[in-house]
Amino acid sequence: MDHLGERLSALVDGELGAVEHESALIHLAKCESCRFEADMTRRLKRRLNGLREPEPDLDFMGRLTSLSRDPGPGGRGPSEPPPGGAGFGVRPPLGSSRPLGGFPGGGALTAESAVAAARSGPGVTGAPAATTPTGPVRSQRSERPARRRGGDRLSHLIPAFPGGRYAVAGFAVATALLGTAFVAGGDAQDAPVVEPRLSDYAVEHAVTSRQIPVVQTQPSEARPVGTENPIGYGSTETTR
Amino acid sequence: MSAGGHSSATSGPATLVAVLALCVALLTGAACPDADQVPAEGSDDGMPVLRRAAVAGKETAYSAVREVTGPEGDGSPSHVRVVHRPGDGLALAPVGEEESAFVVRASSALESLDERLLHMLEDTYEVTDAGTAVLDGRRARVVEAGRADGTVAGRFWVDTGTGLLVGSTVYEATGESALSVRLTGLEQGEGDWPEGAVGGAPWGDALTGEERTALRDEGWTLPEHLDWNLRLVDARSTEHSGHRVVHAVYSDGLSQVSVFAQRGKLGAEHSPSLRDGYAGTDMGGRGVTTQHDTIFGGDVGQYQSMWQADGFVYTVLADAPVGIASSAVTALPGPEGSGFWARVHRGMSRLGFL
Repeated sequence: MDHLGERLSALVDGELGAVEHESALIHLAKCESCRFEADMTRRLKRRLNGLREPEPDLDFMGRLTSLSRDPGPGGRGPSEPPPGGAGFGVRPPLGSSRPLGGFPGGGALTAESAVAAARSGPGVTGAPAATTPTGPVRSQRSERPARRRGGDRLSHLIPAFPGGRYAVAGFAVATALLGTAFVAGGDAQDAPVVEPRLSDYAVEHAVTSRQIPVVQTQPSEARPVGTENPIGYGSTETTR
Repeated sequence: MSAGGHSSATSGPATLVAVLALCVALLTGAACPDADQVPAEGSDDGMPVLRRAAVAGKETAYSAVREVTGPEGDGSPSHVRVVHRPGDGLALAPVGEEESAFVVRASSALESLDERLLHMLEDTYEVTDAGTAVLDGRRARVVEAGRADGTVAGRFWVDTGTGLLVGSTVYEATGESALSVRLTGLEQGEGDWPEGAVGGAPWGDALTGEERTALRDEGWTLPEHLDWNLRLVDARSTEHSGHRVVHAVYSDGLSQVSVFAQRGKLGAEHSPSLRDGYAGTDMGGRGVTTQHDTIFGGDVGQYQSMWQADGFVYTVLADAPVGIASSAVTALPGPEGSGFWARVHRGMSRLGFL
């Protein structure tokens, strides 16, 4: 009895024609192995479809910023390709530089390999060709979201990452607040430079208090306020 | 597991009660002033003695030597010859330099100020008649100003013969003498009045309540109280170089604190100089800085401080205990720093965040 093989994945995807669809269902009714494999494939696709879309991350913003304003040491313009001949479109997918999922032996490529392994049937395991993008561009695009979903799925394992945006936002707000306060704390524009007339003040205070300060160190230096040589201010010292 | 849950279930309300109790304790502790920071209640039977002395001081001609002693252990006393002539005023001159006397001219402004000072003394302290004593060979009636905690804040001696106030002492909260004044060699009658002496009277522009309110609306800091016992008893203004200068007098009835405020900021590079008899200032004058430093000069018991804050320059002169002077200074806007964080703090304050 021939197993469904490649048709199993097409059955799960609903891509078989009516006749082939009925034939495959009849086979599944008889073949426990294919039924088990079809069940596993459906579960895997449901899980992949249930993953949410990734959100733009800091790396994404950083790449955009560098592309728009950083000409680099060679004076490249924003529209010129980066060194090495690689353009924006052939760069690694945005966000792929973060170690979410970890490409070696796991992460996004593991999920992709699982799909390919399911399509290749139980007899084909770990085939390197399954991960090689040999199909048309359209198929690459259809697989790329799955890769992103896999990486974003594992991002839940890194608790510090979601708060990073808030930390940056808080830092920006604090910087703006400090800058505003620094500007507002500058010297008042309309405040003139003044020289308080201490002797006038001393006279006014002496009048209202009916006390005159007298230098007590040497009687010959003692002078009342308001005279030609105002007393006190030539012998002061800072004590704190 | 269940035991732990039970424990946390019972400790939760207990913790809440403890936190509430702590909050209540902190709030009530912050709201209630210290026991001695409230006006002292009492019969104030010493006030009539002081009022009679104030009248006698205005109507009696006399001459004497005023001996002024600063805080205990703070050098020797200073001596000032005083001559009072009703209608003319009070002449003051250091002993030995009577030719350079300074005359406080008699004025209605000073009479009303004296009356407000007596009211402030009565409101703040319990003024009691403490009997009689002998001071420098003269029989005098002693009047004490007591705080709410029972300590003595000030003591007066009124000569029973002439009715003149011949002595007064202001005490720190610790009980130490802060400033003492004694009249020695008291003689009734017109003495040698220094004709042609330099004189002064309070600045003429007395600020009414409405004018003070208008100034506050313009950004001036002119509080009615600097502390629980320091009330505004007089406010006047004049103009220096076309700019308004406000003189606010605060008192507890025993001491006076003069606060001078003017709009502006202190220059950084002005050499001290004498201009028409007035001392100019560099960073507030020789020895005076913008950093809120307290300057104690050779002047007995006088406290001087100058600083700039938020577009105004403040100068405080006080013949008062250190505690009174310090509370007055700290109640005013603080000095401005010059660093980054000081400027940020100032900006935050101006923006209303602080």
